[in-house]
Amino acid sequence: MTDSNVLEEKLNKITEINGIRVYNIKSNRFKTNTINVFFQDNLNTDSVALNALFPSVLRRGCKGLPTIKDINLYLEELYGAVFDCGIVKKGEKQIIHFYFEYISDKYTSDGDRNFEKALNFLLNIIYKPALQDGSFNELYVEQEKTNLKMLIESRTNDKVQYALDRCYELMCQDEPFGLYEYGTAKQIENITSNELYKHYKEKIGTLPLDIFITGELYDSDIEILKKSLNNIERSTPKSLISSIVKKCVDKVSYFEDVMEVNQAKLSLGFRTNITSKEDDYYALLVYNGILGGGMHSKLFQNVREKAGLAYYVFAGLEKFKGLMIIGSGIDIKEKDHAKELILEQLDEIQKGNITDYEFESTIKSIETGVQSLKDSQLQVVDFYLSQLISDTHDTLESLLDKIKRVTKKDVIDIAKKIQLDTMYFLTSKN
Amino acid sequence: MKFETMEYKKYNETIYKYEHSSGLKCIVVPKKGYYKKHATFSTQYGSVDNEFIIPGEKTKTIVPDGIAHFLEHKLFEQKDGSVMDKFAALGSRPNAFTSFNQTVYLFSCTDLFRENFDLLLNFVQNPYITEESVEREKGIIGQEINMYRDDPGWRVTFNLLDAFYEKHPVKFDIAGSIESISKITKDTLYKCYETFYHPSNMVVTVVGDVDHIQVFEQIEKNIKSTPKTSEIERIFPTESDSINKKYVEQNMPVSTPLFYTGFKDNNFVLEGLEILKYELAVKLLMSMIIGKSSELYTKLYDKGLINSTFETDFSIEKSYAYSMLGGESVNPEAVKDSITKEIRKLRDNGLDPQIFDRLLKASKGRFLRQMNSVESISRTFINLYFKGVTMFDYLGVYDTISFDYITDVFEKHFDLERMALSVVKESK
Repeated sequence: MTDSNVLEEKLNKITEINGIRVYNIKSNRFKTNTINVFFQDNLNTDSVALNALFPSVLRRGCKGLPTIKDINLYLEELYGAVFDCGIVKKGEKQIIHFYFEYISDKYTSDGDRNFEKALNFLLNIIYKPALQDGSFNELYVEQEKTNLKMLIESRTNDKVQYALDRCYELMCQDEPFGLYEYGTAKQIENITSNELYKHYKEKIGTLPLDIFITGELYDSDIEILKKSLNNIERSTPKSLISSIVKKCVDKVSYFEDVMEVNQAKLSLGFRTNITSKEDDYYALLVYNGILGGGMHSKLFQNVREKAGLAYYVFAGLEKFKGLMIIGSGIDIKEKDHAKELILEQLDEIQKGNITDYEFESTIKSIETGVQSLKDSQLQVVDFYLSQLISDTHDTLESLLDKIKRVTKKDVIDIAKKIQLDTMYFLTSKN
Repeated sequence: MKFETMEYKKYNETIYKYEHSSGLKCIVVPKKGYYKKHATFSTQYGSVDNEFIIPGEKTKTIVPDGIAHFLEHKLFEQKDGSVMDKFAALGSRPNAFTSFNQTVYLFSCTDLFRENFDLLLNFVQNPYITEESVEREKGIIGQEINMYRDDPGWRVTFNLLDAFYEKHPVKFDIAGSIESISKITKDTLYKCYETFYHPSNMVVTVVGDVDHIQVFEQIEKNIKSTPKTSEIERIFPTESDSINKKYVEQNMPVSTPLFYTGFKDNNFVLEGLEILKYELAVKLLMSMIIGKSSELYTKLYDKGLINSTFETDFSIEKSYAYSMLGGESVNPEAVKDSITKEIRKLRDNGLDPQIFDRLLKASKGRFLRQMNSVESISRTFINLYFKGVTMFDYLGVYDTISFDYITDVFEKHFDLERMALSVVKESK
């Protein structure tokens, strides 16, 4: 092997220019490098659809590469580089992600250096869109409105995901978290090209902006980067609101949707009342693992394996908003039975009935999960972005240390804080 | 211990290959510095293998659809309980899947590789199936079948295969149907197990930061020493050269219609590197015709007839081959017509060698990207192993594939007489 020295992979802040924070995660294991640009905004009913739409329009063309075809020709010449953008929701923040992955210089046929091209491409896409009479190309805007409406309306195709999202949205319908990160079809419908352009101009100048680069950078690359970022016009970054986590539940809500399905979905949404800044958060991770975080979990063992009541059943956390969800796919007739057995598993933990097997397998499984993250450039970036968003300062190592220190008693104490808020059932007419 | 070492210095990759006396093969791809260690134990046995002659017998055996997948489920149950629990205690993530041609058992771990690997090798070799557990499993798999019936993406795919094939079992759901699995018994499961889980019909892959010698020693220690057997004769129905149906439509609740169009390809009788070459050629041709940098893609996108869900794929196996092109569209028929027109135009005007060169370079770069992930390396290796080639053989193919060859494959694959369309849309 030519490269037998594996680099230590740590997050390094390279620079902060114009309020733009730039991080590098150095590594030489991968065949590719990535550049990730993240804008963050508050989830807000007035801006959610506009924020979801403008990246799709930017993706259509920029200065020098005004069409999809031009963009793709460019990517193909760059050894099949990959470019995409996406929208995600983390707590009550909407994240706009621009992503570029290109082949590491070691594997280009003629020793081509690609960082500069990759960076310029992304910055052009974001800051120099293809314009028509000083605004967005109207045709692009109309087409992307149609595409986004289709995406929103196709949500129900994936019933497993839909039953989870829908439960959370109904549960938080009076809170920003209840918004779907792409907005509604009606909101999209009403957007005009000029309004979108104005919105875009304001947002790219003011939203908090972070850049994560993975792979090896030369000193000259960093100089190029600094120069490029100095040229970007930015005003003081907007300060964002933290997600509201604590909420007392007075009464459990129940919602039902009817669709043509052969298998029903039952989702249970909970308030954990724990933020990721609290020490309790690490015990919550273990609690969730024991309850429904894998094959060793109470839900899997008792609801699926022993009772045969569900094809799938698991528990998951939304750490930014302090929520937990249990998702399951069940026979339509088994709703009450399944609900009862699921809730029994929570009671068991609260009563302190946690076996050593359940506890130790959970810790081990979380450890495997955290270590595994390191083999994906994108997942490592996502981990550190999440730290920034929740204003916590864990590394993958410190996270593991804290999890290993959690005791059974800590987990039992957590159980008392968790409250069922909403039940959602996706069923058929018959 | 005898093993083979293959180095690909330019790409910083190595493979170690080893064969056990039983005929079991093992491939190790070391990935220094990686945290995950990914191991698989696979048999060349999938949902299409429902008719075969057991080595040593004269008459053929016919088994119910969905049995390979059923067996996959059952192997996780062992005499002393579920093997899942044992993996879970080691903190690893076991899994398994059944495809048309393979059943794959796997785990991924970051610690205790030796213990996990022993577990994998042993549970796959030790089935424990009872009549009672077979009956219980029918309920669980029935739920799984129902889940797939609700998945429009899954339906539109199988409906296209139904349009291509009149009889070939590739058209049937991998899990079978509620009706077909009702006929599965303990005895048929054991019969299939004995036939297809012979080590000479199987392969082990390990990808990650491991010591290959240790891996081979563990195989030596854990794999039962049985003599190699002769090949299993697999029987497939005689399928006509033409397609079964031009068009299949299913009504399901979807907001935008989903579609797949594609070509049934009868040129599947190829060996080794020829398979890779043919596959790469069809994929490049699909990019030339309707890839993101093509005129046609832009035209259809601008008209709102396709969106970013549009994708293409090509499969080639011992008894079938086909391409698929599709996604969401408000008017699938119009997309199909445009593709047809484009193919006619290219046939008249000829393909462009410059476009071919550019797409080849891009495709090679994207191929290298797959080597970032232990799962993706392992998946590609298993798939190709049973075709007699390795993932790194692609690199040679990239360097030798010619424009003339592409032109020839264009004529062979894109036969408009063998083009079908599958649509899932809301009932009117």
